[in-house]
Amino acid sequence: MAPALVFVGLFVMIPLGQLVAISLTDRSLLGGDRFIGLANYWRIWGDSSFWRALEFTAKYTLILTPILMVLGFALALLTVENTPLKRLTRTIVFLPVVIGLASSSLLWFWLLDEQVGLLNKLLVDLHIIHEPIVWFANANSAFWAVVISITWKVVGFGMVLFVAGIQSINADILEAALMDGASYWKRVRLIIVPLTRRVMLLATLISAIGSMLAFDQFYIMTSGGPRGETFTAVYWIYQNSFISFRLGYGAALSIVLTLIILVFATMQIALTARSVET
Amino acid sequence: MTMRRTCGALAAMLIASSAFATVAFADTMTMWVRASGTNAAAHLVNLWNATHGDKIELTTIPDNQMVTKLATGVQAGEVPDLVSFDLIYMPDFMKAGFLIDLTAELKADPNYASVAQAYKDIATYEGKIYGAGFTPDVSILVWNKDLFKKAGLDPDKPPRTIGEIHADAKKIRALGGDIYGFYFSGACPGCNIFTTSPMMVAAGSKMLPANGNDTALTGEGVKDVLETFKEMWDEGLVPKSAQTDNGANFTAEFKTGKIGIQGTGGFLLSELKKDVPNLNFGVTFLPGVKEGQVSSFVGGDVVAIPKGSKHVPLAKKFIAWELTDEAQLEGLAKNNILPSRPALANNKYFAADPRVIVTAKALGVGYVPWVYHFADMVNSDSSPWINMLQRAIFDGDVDGAIKEGREKMKEIAGE
Repeated sequence: MAPALVFVGLFVMIPLGQLVAISLTDRSLLGGDRFIGLANYWRIWGDSSFWRALEFTAKYTLILTPILMVLGFALALLTVENTPLKRLTRTIVFLPVVIGLASSSLLWFWLLDEQVGLLNKLLVDLHIIHEPIVWFANANSAFWAVVISITWKVVGFGMVLFVAGIQSINADILEAALMDGASYWKRVRLIIVPLTRRVMLLATLISAIGSMLAFDQFYIMTSGGPRGETFTAVYWIYQNSFISFRLGYGAALSIVLTLIILVFATMQIALTARSVET
Repeated sequence: MTMRRTCGALAAMLIASSAFATVAFADTMTMWVRASGTNAAAHLVNLWNATHGDKIELTTIPDNQMVTKLATGVQAGEVPDLVSFDLIYMPDFMKAGFLIDLTAELKADPNYASVAQAYKDIATYEGKIYGAGFTPDVSILVWNKDLFKKAGLDPDKPPRTIGEIHADAKKIRALGGDIYGFYFSGACPGCNIFTTSPMMVAAGSKMLPANGNDTALTGEGVKDVLETFKEMWDEGLVPKSAQTDNGANFTAEFKTGKIGIQGTGGFLLSELKKDVPNLNFGVTFLPGVKEGQVSSFVGGDVVAIPKGSKHVPLAKKFIAWELTDEAQLEGLAKNNILPSRPALANNKYFAADPRVIVTAKALGVGYVPWVYHFADMVNSDSSPWINMLQRAIFDGDVDGAIKEGREKMKEIAGE
């Protein structure tokens, strides 16, 4: 217990305490470190760009998380048996997970390029579109371009978690259901889904928190554009801290985002725990 | 014999001690340079190292980390002896007290007197001088002479106004296919302050406010340029990819030989000559609305001594040296890099290519805004500058975009 407390204290509580302390100052990389009380927090209240970025982040999380859960679960169902072909399929689907997020974002940025991108060429060659789409010129298509790239990148992670969850279900239960004449979908709905709820909670939490903290993919693929419409909350924190050098304000924004994520994660755990108990 | 031996021993000791003294008293300075200035800085540093006993060790810092590294370095007392950084951060660094005062040395230096005025202005704070021009760059207009010829235009007559840019671009676009009249990186704030804002300045506009009470984006030049760009965009004279180009294709497009006219930087000349030696292009000043109006944006790096430098006298000696004819000509001009003293534009190295001379002369007509929070107002992905350009050119709301840009810039300048 004690080593764990020391670890948490050193690597979580002390840095968090420092962050809170910085958030109460006007510290900047270019000088200034006065105590200004809650001024930074009042400023956040009136910072429409931050709230817009937070709204965009929430939209991104609410759309991406179900996609990742449903696709990950479906892929797990398809590849759960340990046959050589299914193991190979799992490996292929999981491969993008081990690529760095920055690398995969760059890869997709060029794949979607209107001049040299393979995707546009494919769509034009198949006569699905007449001329290349400029994916990042429009906030909506830029948003979906990022969603597609991230789905490709991380869906394998959810799949592996679900495969582990499904494989841990007692085979006797599934066999008994089969003997009783339960169809495949009935077994999935009434046995597999309820018995993998804890895994679902874990996968959803990881995915939702990851999405709330999204930065690299938007920094590389959209640069927050067009016209600042694809800024995420973390991107806005980065802009304030390291482009505008407002470390105090950036710290306050980080605290607010941490609290928001904490509240949502707690609610999510509570709701899922209740449904698991029932 | 003993006498001779003693004398020999003494002579040997003297030789050894003098050699030792050379080693012991030759210092090694450290210098940080931002990545995009490394190539040019390396030429100067190599020349210094080859001609001086004291050496310089050059360390490249990624562009976007320079401010953070220097700021934290100054606060921690861990700084290099010299630093070369984007000149646009000079006002913020001088105000923050990061740099050593060089007023006495530079005012007494006759070479400093002929340094481009823009460098003198940007490195002066409350009457004191804190740095000198180091590896300059400047914006220019390039045009593809072969495309001009094909379009029936005079290949030796570049556009003299933005109206002529528009008219020429239209004729070049008429060649059809993937040939376009004009190019700009529509999602790159830095590229546009470098190449688009000088057109506005040439037409009499003032760009950025120095403080919260100052005016921003004044004059009709801003509106005239934005409207012309919008028309060119609407008429399809610019490739669609321009809208999302965050600077990645800033230099690549013109190299393809399919772009008629583009604003760019002097650095492109050596790239073009190296990468596409057969591309027949010309160089001129960035024009304004009326004939005779020209301007450019003076960019590149300044060199300064951060507080905490361990070799201040030697670092000052280096700054004085880099302004000499030797350094400017043999270190910079010889390597196709502009000298920071425009008077040296007509030199033996540039004589073979008048385009380089035009570029060097652009330093003399260039401007650089002396403002705090430049990154906030211009360089950031959410800056009022890039938002104004995009809203005006791609959404078509020129007046609304300028109004919003003015308000946001004033707000930032007032912080």
